[in-house]
Amino acid sequence: MLTDYATIGVFFLLTVSFPIAAMALSWIFRPKPKAAPDDEKYTTYECGVDTRGKTWIRFRVNYFLFALVFLAFDVETVFLYPWAVKFQKLGFFAFAEMIVFIAILVVALWYAWKEGALEWH
Amino acid sequence: MEISLLGTEILLATLGFLALVTGLLPGRAKSITGSMSLAGLLLILVYTIAHFGEEASLFQGIYLVDNFAAYFKMLFLTATLLVSLGAGRYLERFENKKSEFYSLMVFATLGMVIMASAGDFITLYVGLELMTVSFYILTAFLLRDGLSTEAGLKYLVLGAASSAILLFGISLVMAYTGTTVIGATAARLMTEPAVVAGIVLLAAGFAFKISVIPFHMWTPDIYQGAPTPVTNYLSVASKAAAFAAMVRVFMVAVDAAPGLTLSWNLILAILAALTIIVGNLIALVQEDIKRLLAYSSIAQAGYILAGLAAANAYGLKGVLFYALLYVFCNTGAFIIATAVEVDSGSTAIEAFRGLSKRSPALAAIMTICLLSLAGIPPLAGFVGKFYLFAGAIQQGYLWLALIGLIMSMVSVYYYLNVSRVMYIEKAGKQEPVKGSGAFRLALWVCALAAIFLGCYPAPLSNLAQQAIQLFL
Repeated sequence: MLTDYATIGVFFLLTVSFPIAAMALSWIFRPKPKAAPDDEKYTTYECGVDTRGKTWIRFRVNYFLFALVFLAFDVETVFLYPWAVKFQKLGFFAFAEMIVFIAILVVALWYAWKEGALEWH
Repeated sequence: MEISLLGTEILLATLGFLALVTGLLPGRAKSITGSMSLAGLLLILVYTIAHFGEEASLFQGIYLVDNFAAYFKMLFLTATLLVSLGAGRYLERFENKKSEFYSLMVFATLGMVIMASAGDFITLYVGLELMTVSFYILTAFLLRDGLSTEAGLKYLVLGAASSAILLFGISLVMAYTGTTVIGATAARLMTEPAVVAGIVLLAAGFAFKISVIPFHMWTPDIYQGAPTPVTNYLSVASKAAAFAAMVRVFMVAVDAAPGLTLSWNLILAILAALTIIVGNLIALVQEDIKRLLAYSSIAQAGYILAGLAAANAYGLKGVLFYALLYVFCNTGAFIIATAVEVDSGSTAIEAFRGLSKRSPALAAIMTICLLSLAGIPPLAGFVGKFYLFAGAIQQGYLWLALIGLIMSMVSVYYYLNVSRVMYIEKAGKQEPVKGSGAFRLALWVCALAAIFLGCYPAPLSNLAQQAIQLFL
């Protein structure tokens, strides 16, 4: 019995030590240059195009709103597809259910539209 | 399957959508949202009361319609109605977002209803998330108020963490029993370390929602930052919902499991004792009415948890009885706190100065509600605590009942301190605190319920007895 609890204890210790070990190993194996790092080392990306201006900028919240609206209809497709495949067998009740489901999503779209989620100010 | 068995849920979902849609109507048509939501909630409450006593197990035990769930559904609907009625002039702060407020309140209620009726862990979790997500938005509803936004973000982060803990617990229980139906897990639970860990995690997830010490850290900040009616709703209804789910999980699955030897009662009893002691002691030094009521609500959760720890007829009856009277008393206190906040623009206890001169009725009702929370006879709180502590003593937790009694006496100090400010200190202003008819109606319902349930508890007590019959 006690050894069973020890299993959980070992798991707990492992979960704690894993991130520590990962960070410690990369600290041990990383190259450690003697000289102080130059300016190039401090840029956001060492290769590629240099960034212009501050990289710590705000993104428009509209991206997020579009994503949310998209998600609603993405999930709708997931439900619509199997329903459409089995449409003949399911009959009228399933049809009514699907109408209710789509009506709920349309209300959501209407709300998002009215609140200006689809406009790019 | 009879559709009418799910009437409460279907009607609530419809009402929530209607509230959202009417908010989109142009011009003055918008203003019907409030009265429509209130009327709808009242109708649904009547429907739920009329259908009390129906028993059914739907979708292979995933959704249960029974007296226990029906009792809590009535409780949630009463709380939603009282809170929406009592919000009064505070709603003006929501500007053009009033219909969303009503809609989210209704959806939060729907989530709670699902939690109370859930017969399996996944359904329970879906209900819990519907409730909590609505609360995240409601907490951050005052967009231009820094405190409110901060509270919303804190609640989101901590709520997500607690959901993860709950889910982890569910997954462990499911891994060992092979089912998520709560009733079916009982026969398959065994004394296995991972199962024990799962049950402890489940308890921790629920403990967060009902703000049991040591999972209470979020409560004061979020209660203070959230709009006052939302704080009110959070403190009475979301706690009751978590208790409903917790009672079902622990009584149906954990308590009834023959293969599981785990003194879960003792764990809950210790948590309850801690919660009662720490909640009451910290409440002593609060100077803000919302923080005071937050710590008081932590302590009240401790009393109710004592009833669940006892897990006998008296204790469980106490849980149900106390949860409902707590709705009336706490809502009464919060409604007045809301009115005073609107009037003075401050949530400090000092804002109550001289309220007895300005609005004697408000001061009297505030005192009644607070004394009832403290458990002074002949008010409802006394009867509720009597059931809870009687259950604890019957089960052999005399120490728990003693701690509860002593800390109840301590709590009288900070509750009466508010009355002292209202009755003894001088007011700066003289004119009475304004309030609409709906606001007064909600107040009188709360005050009369606190007195009536204290003097004549038999009807509600019988109802609670019927509701817990399935666990005994």
